[in-house]
Amino acid sequence: MKHIHALVLTGYGLNCDHETAHALELAGANATRIHINALIDGSASLDDFQIMVFIGGFSWADDHGAGVIQAVRMRTHIGEDLIRFIEKGNLILGICNGFQTLVNLGLLPGFDNDYRQRSVALIANDCGNFRDDWVHLKVNPDTPCVFTKGLDQMELPIRHGEGKFYAEETAIDRLAADKQVVLQYALANGHPAGGNFPANPNGSVNDIAGICDPTGRVFGLMPHPEAYHHPTNHPDWTRMRAQKGGAGWTAEMMLGTRLFENAVNYLRSQ
Amino acid sequence: MPNRLEITLNAAIPDPEGEGLLKKAGAYFGLNLAAVRTVHVLTIDKPLSDEQLETIRTEIFTNPVTQTSSYSPLPVPFDWIIWVGYRPGVRDNAGATAIEAVEDVLGVKFAPGESIYTSRRYGIRSDHLTRADAETIAGELLANDIIQQWRIFSGDDWHPEEGIGLIIPKVMLNHTPTVTTVPIDSDDVLRRVSDQRNLALNPADIPTIRAYFLDQTVQSDRAAMGLSDPTDIELEYISQARSDHCNHNTFQGLFRYRETPDGPVEVIDNLFDTCIKSPTLHLKEQKDWVVSVLWDNAGAGRFDDDHYYVITGETHNSPSNMEAYGGAITGIVGVYRDPLGAGKGAKLIMGSYGYCVGPRDYDGELSPRLHPRRLLDGVIEGVRDGGNKSGIPTPFGQVLFHPGYLGKCLVFVTALGIMPAAIQGKPAELKTTEPGDLVIMCGGRVGKDGIHGVTASSEVFSKHTPAGHVQIGDPYTQKKMHDFLLEARDEGLIRFITDNGGGGLSSSVGESAMFSNGCEIALEAVPLKYEGLDQWEIWISESQERMTVAIRPADLDRFMALSRKHAVESTVIGRYTDSGKLHITYAGKTCAHVDLSLLASGFPQWEFDAEWQPPERRGLAEPVLSPPRDYGALLTDLLARPNLCSREWITRQYDHEVQGTSVIKPLVGVDRDAPSDGAVIRPVLSSERGLAFSQALLPFYSAIDAHHMTACTIDEAVRRLIAVGGDPDHIGGVDNFCWPNIQHHPVGNPDGKFKAAQLVRSCRALKDICLAYAIPLLSGKDSMYVDGHLPGRYGETHKVSALETLQFSAVGVVENVHRCATMDAKTAGDRVYVAGVTRNELGGSEYYARFGYIGLNAPRVRPRDFSALYRAMAHCIKEGLAASVHGVYRGGLGVHLALVAMAGNLGMTIDLSAIPSEGVDRDDALLFSESAGRFIMTLNAKNGNDVERLFDGLPLAQVGEVTGDGRVRIDGTGGNRIIDVATDDLKAAWKAPFSGL
Repeated sequence: MKHIHALVLTGYGLNCDHETAHALELAGANATRIHINALIDGSASLDDFQIMVFIGGFSWADDHGAGVIQAVRMRTHIGEDLIRFIEKGNLILGICNGFQTLVNLGLLPGFDNDYRQRSVALIANDCGNFRDDWVHLKVNPDTPCVFTKGLDQMELPIRHGEGKFYAEETAIDRLAADKQVVLQYALANGHPAGGNFPANPNGSVNDIAGICDPTGRVFGLMPHPEAYHHPTNHPDWTRMRAQKGGAGWTAEMMLGTRLFENAVNYLRSQ
Repeated sequence: MPNRLEITLNAAIPDPEGEGLLKKAGAYFGLNLAAVRTVHVLTIDKPLSDEQLETIRTEIFTNPVTQTSSYSPLPVPFDWIIWVGYRPGVRDNAGATAIEAVEDVLGVKFAPGESIYTSRRYGIRSDHLTRADAETIAGELLANDIIQQWRIFSGDDWHPEEGIGLIIPKVMLNHTPTVTTVPIDSDDVLRRVSDQRNLALNPADIPTIRAYFLDQTVQSDRAAMGLSDPTDIELEYISQARSDHCNHNTFQGLFRYRETPDGPVEVIDNLFDTCIKSPTLHLKEQKDWVVSVLWDNAGAGRFDDDHYYVITGETHNSPSNMEAYGGAITGIVGVYRDPLGAGKGAKLIMGSYGYCVGPRDYDGELSPRLHPRRLLDGVIEGVRDGGNKSGIPTPFGQVLFHPGYLGKCLVFVTALGIMPAAIQGKPAELKTTEPGDLVIMCGGRVGKDGIHGVTASSEVFSKHTPAGHVQIGDPYTQKKMHDFLLEARDEGLIRFITDNGGGGLSSSVGESAMFSNGCEIALEAVPLKYEGLDQWEIWISESQERMTVAIRPADLDRFMALSRKHAVESTVIGRYTDSGKLHITYAGKTCAHVDLSLLASGFPQWEFDAEWQPPERRGLAEPVLSPPRDYGALLTDLLARPNLCSREWITRQYDHEVQGTSVIKPLVGVDRDAPSDGAVIRPVLSSERGLAFSQALLPFYSAIDAHHMTACTIDEAVRRLIAVGGDPDHIGGVDNFCWPNIQHHPVGNPDGKFKAAQLVRSCRALKDICLAYAIPLLSGKDSMYVDGHLPGRYGETHKVSALETLQFSAVGVVENVHRCATMDAKTAGDRVYVAGVTRNELGGSEYYARFGYIGLNAPRVRPRDFSALYRAMAHCIKEGLAASVHGVYRGGLGVHLALVAMAGNLGMTIDLSAIPSEGVDRDDALLFSESAGRFIMTLNAKNGNDVERLFDGLPLAQVGEVTGDGRVRIDGTGGNRIIDVATDDLKAAWKAPFSGL
């Protein structure tokens, strides 16, 4: 079987590196944690990887807008390398702080395959606070996103202070029309949250929790799929165990790891 | 010419920061604001071209989708403008990251003295706000005058082109570093110098210090180095090492204890040795999982064959009491350096918090420096930012309110880490320094931070005086250092590591030099935040985010390469020797040359008189109180009391799932809103093993007897651990004592002897219970001066002392996380059991507190009886027989049965006559007694026989059933229904008090 190599970005206050690498390994990839400066000084090369993950954390403490300085540093030093990485058919995933970085880089939404233009933003939650909670997510069945293929609904944790998806109406309309909206905050029954707190935890326009580029190979989301790689990560797992009984209570769980499996399977099929 | 960049959100986008201020101004001060908009200000004190300024404005500091910015004041609508910025020398974290970004994008370097300062200005719309109101908003909501400055502008004051002006909070000391020699002609002379310089030398230590410096051999040694009388840096070193904070003189003191005022005197030589060290060493012999205790920054236990966990707890009370946010963030970030500096370094895996503050709605006559409401807000945010930005989950925490904490709040912070058992084949828990090893300081730079703690706060501020005595932690800098040091550790580069906390380099270098028996430090090598610090200041500064590391000279290049990769500053500041001396030079000239053995020699022990007064003698008695009739209303009201009600507003601000290790979360149940008994994480992602953790705080019983307070606190922590799946054979403890001053003084501390007796009783209870439950104390700390002098209404001040408080943490390994349990009722039809005996122990209870009583009958811990029950309970959980398990804590069975039902959104029928009890004949006692040693358990009826067999001979009874009708129904011992309330109503009452936050 084809080896899929995944790069997990670290350093400068990023902090989900170990569990992201672990989730990628569970999904069958070979994951390597690489410091941002190792990419910049050339001691590590994007050429050796097929998946690049911008992970969660507080890069540069998020003091000047979440993901802003990370995006500035990446664009200044390896901006063109990132675009070439995408154009070669590889995958980029941005989770939480990584998603914020991708939109600040312009790699998302990448309208008209322009990966330099900032046209959407992730801003302070309407609730005014950092918030840790689990959310229901509805997957857009029509999106080209390769990470969510075959998925309908998911539950994942969100953990952020700046996760409100915001853009001008034209950009919001365009995202919907081009099927680039991948995930929406939803109720337990799968219907969109309709902007209502806490189902929509941050006030995101149109309940948007994750978007992809037009190719479906660049994907960013605020929730943390890597934090649901084990049945006991789920907040209700002791309830499921009690109510379903027996050893098979984990069978129906839709782990966040599925997103990583889809990525690995996509690359293997290429 | 400096430039000032203003940035704000586009007018169409809501401003949550402004909304937050608007809400608080209304809720806290009744000020009705129409709108608030926030403007972020960067004052760039470095010459840049117009083109460069425009580049950084557009490339870094302005989001084209959401923000507007300008180097001229932005026309934000306002009736009042409040500008808030830092005072000189206060850590400006956002300023530092702004510099990093500008240097990166422009390819320039900021020279010494050049900087970027961040500040905020708020445009407030309100028709009828007065200047005094605006002052209130600035001084009571936005800024704390010890770290911040502010200015207020009305429409008339505001100049649209000049805006706030150019305010540069730059530190300018204009001082040449000077070493001063201190005369030691007599004890009196030295004592006077100690007072003048805030050295805080203990008078009893002074003869020993003088004797050393007057010794002829010492004098001739010193003469050879060009020294005569002691230097200020030498005395500062001795003062730091001998401080109660570093040396724990109180716990190592000699106590003359009397059980009654006229009883015989019992001498207890060293509470630490007798009550903490000796039982722990005894238990270490029996418990092969105890890896490292009593010497390092954190204690270590075995997680599995390949990993050790480490744990420690700290408090940061005084700084938080002055500046809540700064004190708390410095506290949590500081305690995170302890595991990082344990053994050869541990990765941080978890933190927790405990806050004790005055009543949030306090409106009495005393004026604490910060109102408890504001103080709590700041503490919550400080620990939130410190933990979240460190990437460390915070899955457990407790908050309690009591007027005793008006004098000084308590901020407990606890940290856990994990390390591989071996690094490059060598034991990870061991470390040492050897002659020739290099002394390296990593992380932040040194300023006048934390020098002499709060004594500096009385100094007069000038425009460029650093306000460094209250610090602001910088989790970003520390996270980079954490990642760097773990990589260096894994390459086998680290020989010794310890953190720079209290005492700064003086402590970290002084202690690490004990291993090699000497060191030489070149103080001018230490990187500074700004010029002009005296040598002694560099040596004892408590500037944060620094570690001291020993490496071999051969590893220097590799170590520095890794340091550069992680963008961390590391500097060689000296080397370890075996000279027996602490030898410090500055620019080649010796400024300290002291025998390290001095500290181990002949300093007198502190002494305390401790006189116990039994509670009966103090006039305590059980209240004369008839049983209530309206139990439904009573239960509902109890659930809404501040010390029992929901704190979800705090819990959700803390990232409790980062690192992907979460097994049992802080909030559980069908709506994920009920507080869990404890936390469980799975720190090794490839393993099914877990680490269970819990804490307890029960200071209320100290009002009766600190012995019972201590026993009950430990017992509660243990039950919390068992309830989530902990193992009675593996419980590690951490004791954190916070006590009012125990040194008797006829005027200043007239009840000092009683408080000392409380401490003796508490320590003895600690020893007895830890031995009985077989809990080695992996770590612990004490904070001994929890008193405050508060201004009253007439210009008088009142001394307010906290209740004697112990926070106890329990940690243990769970074999298989799939066997863990939560406290929420799961399924209608399940049986409800109560394990453990309810006794008439309402003394100090929440029930009595509701009516203003204390009472007399505090709960007693019976460790032998309880242990058997805990083993049965742990077995029952391990076998998967229980659907839910919950300890019975503050508020008693009534409150905790309700919580189990509320967590499951289910009903419950309970028959009080079935509850195992002794000597209780009243329903209120059955419902609200806080007897220790009890659990509530729900389970499927099919497991009933197995469970009853497991508890054979132990107090266990089925007391009712989980129902699907959503009502809590309780029948009294007389057979009549005394409570019939909708679970939803109970939950609504429980959530109401803090629901708007």
